[in-house]
Amino acid sequence: MLTTTGQLIVSGVLIGSIYALMSVGLTLIFGVLRIVNFAHGEFLMMAMYGAWLGTRYLGLNAYTAAIAVVPAMFLFGTIVHRLIISPSLDKPHLVVVFATMGLSILMQNVALMIMSADLWDVPPMLGGRSFTFGPFYAKPELLIGFAVSLMVTFILRWIIKTTYLGKAIRATVQDGEAAMLMGIPVPRIFLITFASGSALVGLAACTMMPLFSVFPTVGLNFVLIAFVIVVLGGMGSIEGALLGGICIGIAQSLSSYFIAPAYGQMFFFSLFLLVLIFRPSGLLGQKGTANLGINP
Amino acid sequence: MRNWSRRGIITFAAAVLALTAADTRAQEPIRIGVLLPLTGPFTKNGTEHWEAMQIARDMINERGGVNGRKVELLVADVPSPAAAISDTERLISTQKIKITTGSGLSPLAIAVSQASERAGVFHWETTGAAEIITRRGFKYTFQVGGASRLYAQAAVNFTLEDLAKRLGKSPTDLRIALLWENRAFGKSVGDGVRDYVKTKNIKLIYDEGYDQFATDMTPIVQKLKDVKPDVLIAISFPNDAILFQRKAKELDFYVGALVGVSAGYSNPDLENSIGSVVYGIFDSDFLPKVNPKVLKPEVAQAFDEYNRRYEAKMKRPPAGHASVSFSALWALFNEVFPKAKTFEPDELRQIALSLDLPEGSLANGSGIKFTNNDWAPDLKDAGQNLRAAIGVWQWQKVNGRTEHNPVFPKSLATNEPTLVPLPAWDKR
Repeated sequence: MLTTTGQLIVSGVLIGSIYALMSVGLTLIFGVLRIVNFAHGEFLMMAMYGAWLGTRYLGLNAYTAAIAVVPAMFLFGTIVHRLIISPSLDKPHLVVVFATMGLSILMQNVALMIMSADLWDVPPMLGGRSFTFGPFYAKPELLIGFAVSLMVTFILRWIIKTTYLGKAIRATVQDGEAAMLMGIPVPRIFLITFASGSALVGLAACTMMPLFSVFPTVGLNFVLIAFVIVVLGGMGSIEGALLGGICIGIAQSLSSYFIAPAYGQMFFFSLFLLVLIFRPSGLLGQKGTANLGINP
Repeated sequence: MRNWSRRGIITFAAAVLALTAADTRAQEPIRIGVLLPLTGPFTKNGTEHWEAMQIARDMINERGGVNGRKVELLVADVPSPAAAISDTERLISTQKIKITTGSGLSPLAIAVSQASERAGVFHWETTGAAEIITRRGFKYTFQVGGASRLYAQAAVNFTLEDLAKRLGKSPTDLRIALLWENRAFGKSVGDGVRDYVKTKNIKLIYDEGYDQFATDMTPIVQKLKDVKPDVLIAISFPNDAILFQRKAKELDFYVGALVGVSAGYSNPDLENSIGSVVYGIFDSDFLPKVNPKVLKPEVAQAFDEYNRRYEAKMKRPPAGHASVSFSALWALFNEVFPKAKTFEPDELRQIALSLDLPEGSLANGSGIKFTNNDWAPDLKDAGQNLRAAIGVWQWQKVNGRTEHNPVFPKSLATNEPTLVPLPAWDKR
């Protein structure tokens, strides 16, 4: 029993760190900029296809494909921001919601047209077997995902907390007008933050490709989890996203085992509601962050 | 007098019209509305059905049609249930269609048959398997391909009659686990398995539903490891079947035999995703091919021709679901239409209900005997084909080539089951 529970926690932490990695981009876009990007899952889908194409046609593996996928996603984020996000920022909040929802449907259907509904995979490392640590099993891909997730969290946290860019981002979010008066190029900060969020989705996709199949609607399986993690961790908190992801991974794993797998989602949403009721700012969120958005 | 002559002229004109109409009607094509998903998430499935149906049409027309009348198929793309309803209605109202067929998968079949029934149109369903399709008291819907209960029964019968022996256990000692995704198809088949093993006095050691969008299979695999089943019956969709197989390998979960049911385990992508561990997995489904000896000679010959045409066009042999569409249409053209005079839905319905074809009459080994509101298991049940052939096939490697070979029931099988019990993960 102890071994089983241990395995469930190990698996929960590892898969949770993957969820966190996938949410870190959204933390920037939704948590910091307050842009509700409903196409986040489709960004992930597109980047996963990118990683898959890299392994299939360029002879890379999914991880080295990041060299191409991450900059490509940065560029894609820039384009989406220029064409869709930026024009709708000064309009009512719902405009950007509908615009990104439209983008999400468009991307799904374009993927269906080009890639068809087939599922694609990259071959697993070690032929799909895992390392054993005493009685516990862990796949190398999951361990790599965990390491990348920790690394990204610490680097991003350092950038946001200490660099000029990070300070500019925080200033922009806290008071856009004042930031502009202080000489911060607010529109450009928005653009860079959005594009960086997309690039991080690209990195997450390369880490996830060896674990999951890619197909046009794969994003739908993950997007809801990502939004929950960003809010649970505390809007805009980078280390909160990591903690939120791991909490959800463990909650899902334990509840599915001890209660029923069909209710795994129900439990993490219950956990989510409880946190919102008793700690509305999220696990590691600053009090009042919910009101810090750029748009009134 | 003037009135008289006018009436006379009108009568004469009407008579002439009626005669010419009757004359042209003899050569008029028989028009059938085909509703299939040709875009959207089920495109792949839909295009394979459409290919098989076109081959059936071409073959019957090249043989001179049905009593001299050619068959014409009017296809509409129905990516979703909502589209299925509106496009079925459109075909019926604008094209005056009296016969429909399709629909690739259950949710679409439920919608198409509903629209057809409302308009009093004869619907010949080739694939939709959910029990509900023929449990709504409809008059004109005929489910030729087999209801989900039959998938469950094939999986259980194969497990008890064949696998038990190979695993060296008596059927009552066999530890059987059941895992099902909790939407329409998985639940329907899962219910079928549970009900059916009860009639055999067998208790499942594990019986659980899960969400097919689950992203982590650890808890399920861990639970299965705890109960140590000999056989696992799993109803899954493609993505979750792949995730399950990978997690099972990762956590070193061993089971002596795995019997999948349709969808996830019949999907060709499974081999691309999980590689050589696919060999040995069983799938309870429409059989992609059957032992030709059980077929009537003319049917065997037609099926052979269909297989050759399909492979020439699509560059690979047809999957089970495509063959079931061919089989059903070929039966419609050769068993129902030749007996029809008016081709009105009421007449076609009477003919369909009177069919009593033994197994082996259809190209995929099925027979036809439809339920008719008057017998068990359900009085609301009409148009369900009790003799649809659902069997078990296995992923086998023969001379370095992957084959889907029927292994159960014995009468339809072409090959013996192999790799029972399954080798350990590192030997697969």
